[in-house]
Amino acid sequence: MLLPSLDGKQWSADIEQTAKTVSIVYAALHAHDQVKEDILASKKQQLTVLAGDFYSGIYYQMLSNMENLTMIKHLASAIISVSERKASFYDEVVRPIKLVDEQIQKNEIELIETFYKFYGYQEYTKLAKAMLSYVRYEEELKCLKEGGQSRILQVLNKSLQYSVDTETWLLEKLDVLHDQVIETMRDAKFDYELKNFMLHKITPHQHRAEQLTREG
Amino acid sequence: MEKVKLKLLYSDIKPELDMIEKELEQAVDSESPLLNDASLHLLQAGGKRIRPVFVLLAGKFGNYNIDVMKRVAVPLELIHMASLVHDDVIDDSELRRGKPTVKAEWNNSVAMYTGDFILARALEYITEIEDPKLHQILSKTMIEVCRGEIIQIEDKFKLDQNLRDYLRRIKRKTALLISSSCELGALVSGADLKTVAHLRRFGYFIGMSFQIIDDILDFTSSDEELGKPAGSDFMQGNMTLPVLCARKDLETYELLKKNLQKEMSDEERLNIVRTIRNSPAIEEAKKISEKYLEKALEELSYLPKSSASKTMRKIAFFIGKRKF
Repeated sequence: MLLPSLDGKQWSADIEQTAKTVSIVYAALHAHDQVKEDILASKKQQLTVLAGDFYSGIYYQMLSNMENLTMIKHLASAIISVSERKASFYDEVVRPIKLVDEQIQKNEIELIETFYKFYGYQEYTKLAKAMLSYVRYEEELKCLKEGGQSRILQVLNKSLQYSVDTETWLLEKLDVLHDQVIETMRDAKFDYELKNFMLHKITPHQHRAEQLTREG
Repeated sequence: MEKVKLKLLYSDIKPELDMIEKELEQAVDSESPLLNDASLHLLQAGGKRIRPVFVLLAGKFGNYNIDVMKRVAVPLELIHMASLVHDDVIDDSELRRGKPTVKAEWNNSVAMYTGDFILARALEYITEIEDPKLHQILSKTMIEVCRGEIIQIEDKFKLDQNLRDYLRRIKRKTALLISSSCELGALVSGADLKTVAHLRRFGYFIGMSFQIIDDILDFTSSDEELGKPAGSDFMQGNMTLPVLCARKDLETYELLKKNLQKEMSDEERLNIVRTIRNSPAIEEAKKISEKYLEKALEELSYLPKSSASKTMRKIAFFIGKRKF
């Protein structure tokens, strides 16, 4: 989200404050993603639900105090879309992998995209989307390798059942996203340190290449 | 029977309430069939719609325009609905109003996304009203409601808490949203500041009375009447007013303490429900509820006499005597 600021774009106190509210919405939705199934209502689980609701109240209050009602509306619309996509992962429909991939990536970028659009920073959307998707899929791969399970992995498994296995698909996806990040950054006039920082975030994890080297 | 009485009370604003009901259905319309079903499931389970009713009635003290009023009435009910669907995850509840909860019918995650979706719809809807003050009041209330729920979790199973803890908790948990319904209804209709303040306080006192009666009904109603097991609140560790009044009796105190320390069987639950139901605690709790009701009626007495104030008065009496 801070890409425009780190890239030297205008970053007023108002923009800074709005950026904070967007982060709080991410925290709210993330908290609710952590709610587990089939366990008794533990205190931790109960407080996780309430933490998400509390954050929702806070972002609404912050933007109300700033009198930025348009942003409240935009963020609410974004939350609706994210919730709809997340809920769709629980229905019985088997979707094509391309669509599932689009939904996952859209969920990662939706709120930041809303923020970028509001302040006219759309030029950063492509890079932020590739980076966030990279991080998401990397976490899913880690979870898979550790023998864990997540709803995203279940949805990927379901969509991929007759083609490649999920690990291979994730490795290839990470390579594609890695190339996208490199390409987008090559075209961007980013500050040298910023470029370095971002490359550092993805370069040590060229999974497909590492695997091929091992297999070779 | 009780539901028929309530419908009669609402008869003055029936056309507007029918419109609100349709708007609620449209508001939860979703591209996701699952969210659509879950939200409608919750909506169609019914409810007293007390928050939108108070928004509309409070609006009658100013320049009443249903197209503006519905922009507040619908979100207030949606915010309440969103909190219910999340509450059922918190309490691990299987039944609400006699029907399976969203979490029971689907699962916890679907319940979480349904609540987030409904809340976001509420905010999307209410931002059509471009008055920052309204949003500042509502957002503050939402935060306080949440704080109340967090405190409720902290206070669970604490039999030795005091009455003030309980009253503070129900203020946040229930009274504030009803108070805000009255306040925002009056505010958006352009009612004068004194009227807004009286209606806000009316809502607060009614909300307090409403929650106390709810807590009494948890012991005095049957499982069927409640649409969930009687004594559920106590089983979940919530120390409500009847419990706080009943614990004054040493024998009852020991019984409550003993049962709070372990998983209760159905028989033990019913024994506690019976003990409290037959104790003076119920009457004592009713008296406190009536005090709040009197205060609510006093606030109404400062307002001009109208059919809206008459209906509010009738609703206040209904709340004090309701059985569901």
